[in-house]
Amino acid sequence: MEQVTGYVGNFTATIRKKARYVDPDQCNSCGECAKVCPVVKPDEYQMGLSTRKAIYIPFPQAVPCSYILNMDDCLGNNPIACGKCAEVCEKECIDYDDQDEVVTREVGSIIVAIGLDVYDPTEMDEYGYTRFDNVITSMEFERLICAGGPTGGHFVRPSDHQRPKRIAFIQCVGSRNPENGRPYCSNICCMNTIKDALLLADHYPDVECTVYYQDIRAFGKSFEDFYQRSKEVGTRYVRGLPGDIAEDPESKNLTLVAENTTTGELERREFDLVVLSVGVEPPKDMAKISSLLTLSKTSDGFFMESHPKLKPVDAPTRGVFFAGFCESPKDIKDSVCQAGAAASRAGALLNAGQIQIEAVTSVIDEAACTRCGLCAAVCPYGAIKWKKGEVAVVIEAACAGCGSCGATCKSGAITMRHFTDEQYYSQIREVLAEDQKGKVFVFACKWCSYSGADMAGISRMRYPASNRVVRTLCSARVSEDMVLEAFRCGAPVVLVSGCHYADCHYINANRQTVKRVQRLWNKLEREGIRPERLQLEWISAAEGRKFARVMEQMEELRRTVTDEEIEHTVKALAPKPKKKKEKEPAGVEG
Amino acid sequence: MAKVETFRCMMCGYEYQEPVEPGEDKERTCPKCRSNSIRHLKSRPPKEATGG
Repeated sequence: MEQVTGYVGNFTATIRKKARYVDPDQCNSCGECAKVCPVVKPDEYQMGLSTRKAIYIPFPQAVPCSYILNMDDCLGNNPIACGKCAEVCEKECIDYDDQDEVVTREVGSIIVAIGLDVYDPTEMDEYGYTRFDNVITSMEFERLICAGGPTGGHFVRPSDHQRPKRIAFIQCVGSRNPENGRPYCSNICCMNTIKDALLLADHYPDVECTVYYQDIRAFGKSFEDFYQRSKEVGTRYVRGLPGDIAEDPESKNLTLVAENTTTGELERREFDLVVLSVGVEPPKDMAKISSLLTLSKTSDGFFMESHPKLKPVDAPTRGVFFAGFCESPKDIKDSVCQAGAAASRAGALLNAGQIQIEAVTSVIDEAACTRCGLCAAVCPYGAIKWKKGEVAVVIEAACAGCGSCGATCKSGAITMRHFTDEQYYSQIREVLAEDQKGKVFVFACKWCSYSGADMAGISRMRYPASNRVVRTLCSARVSEDMVLEAFRCGAPVVLVSGCHYADCHYINANRQTVKRVQRLWNKLEREGIRPERLQLEWISAAEGRKFARVMEQMEELRRTVTDEEIEHTVKALAPKPKKKKEKEPAGVEG
Repeated sequence: MAKVETFRCMMCGYEYQEPVEPGEDKERTCPKCRSNSIRHLKSRPPKEATGG
């Protein structure tokens, strides 16, 4: 995927089809080309445990089942340096002049199912993955025990190609470990190891398996039975992860030292083979897809869904859906469920022929638009079309109503339906109509911070009663002038609060909040106003305690603001008569 | 390449330096008081003790 333009129901996707150099319709997979190819490379599919040629079938179940020529590995096609494969191909289906093809497709919706990457354990040197031949990963184990693998399913250890009899599995390699690897649980590793142990017991009843773990997470349907079955066939489970692995230089056997936290004893055991149960990571091309489809990511690097409970397969961008690992680590069953749900959601969308959207969208007044394009630049959804010198146009089907454009527009050309500037200014003025000095003025986004305030309330947390909260759709809806208006109305302190970066409900709109607050700090300082009187906080819906703490801090800050400071602020921020007219008449009335 | 930038917490006043990667998109939190009111002090050298 090279480019995606448009919006829900009207996407245009530009796709690069890489050159195969072999016509898949003609190739009958006879394999004569691979036999004569002189290039030998590690086979990526077999985790480098066997080799392939420059012309090869990517994996046994590939569809279409035809050969491809990897031009990076081939000796060269310009000029043709070898040409042996083409010479022996009876079907004459090898074309060295094949070119990448760029195709465009008009699509109504897009399902993102880009899979996962596996954690690379080379950084965890204590397990000796790069030093010891007989330390392998769970992915390499899969290839070694697979009938289609490099050994034809005969399980052998790499150092001497003998069948191992004592095998150790180490869990959570690269998972649940913020220092080495990823902080989250990879979800699949425990059950994968249990499956491997059962498979070994089935193939080789004399094999002794020991699993070193910190928790066994067998929470799915029948998973506990599966776990108990592996114990019944003799798999030994040791609660504790080894700190180090040592190799016997002669036998290449490995000695593990680990504290069994169930018994409290230090155990030293020798094994023929160690399998590192490696965790999973978001795929490396996540950033590119994220940029193409304007998607946001959670703190663990996976794509963020539109709503974790109510819209778990929908992306924040309308018409885009998730399936599988790219949304979060999950097993095959959950991936299949999610794929089915994504397909259903996409199908329902397309069959409906029209979509219903929230009425909270932005509207541009063509007459007032100065054609600057700032609104288009800050829209996280790409919902505003703009060309230099032309009036910006809102694609309402793509607009989610964050209000970032409305807060950015300097000419007042943008109105946010149902959350207009006039409504906000009225609230600000009304809240600060009297006893301004005793109030902490708070802008809180409706998704997280306002819910955080709710959480503090329903949890009966105590915090100063001086705060007055104005609810906004997003913190990015708060324009610089709204904050200044609060100060002009006599607010001693102002807090702008929103969702945490990873939780932003409008992809990344709250980054605009940060930029605005930075500019406001600079402006306040220039005007001789203490910039500390403006604060910024990210408060999630679950952080009632944080909301209460911030309110206490704001109250402390409020007490430090003097009458003289407020008086100076009101004067310093009063509208300058000669300056260009603002979109909203600024300043305290009268 | 990461560039060392100076930040100031607008809640507690703590000033600190941190490497910033180009295009970095990171939520900032004061290492001292955990506030998110972090002001990026662009092109301003860190305060140094002048002695005397």
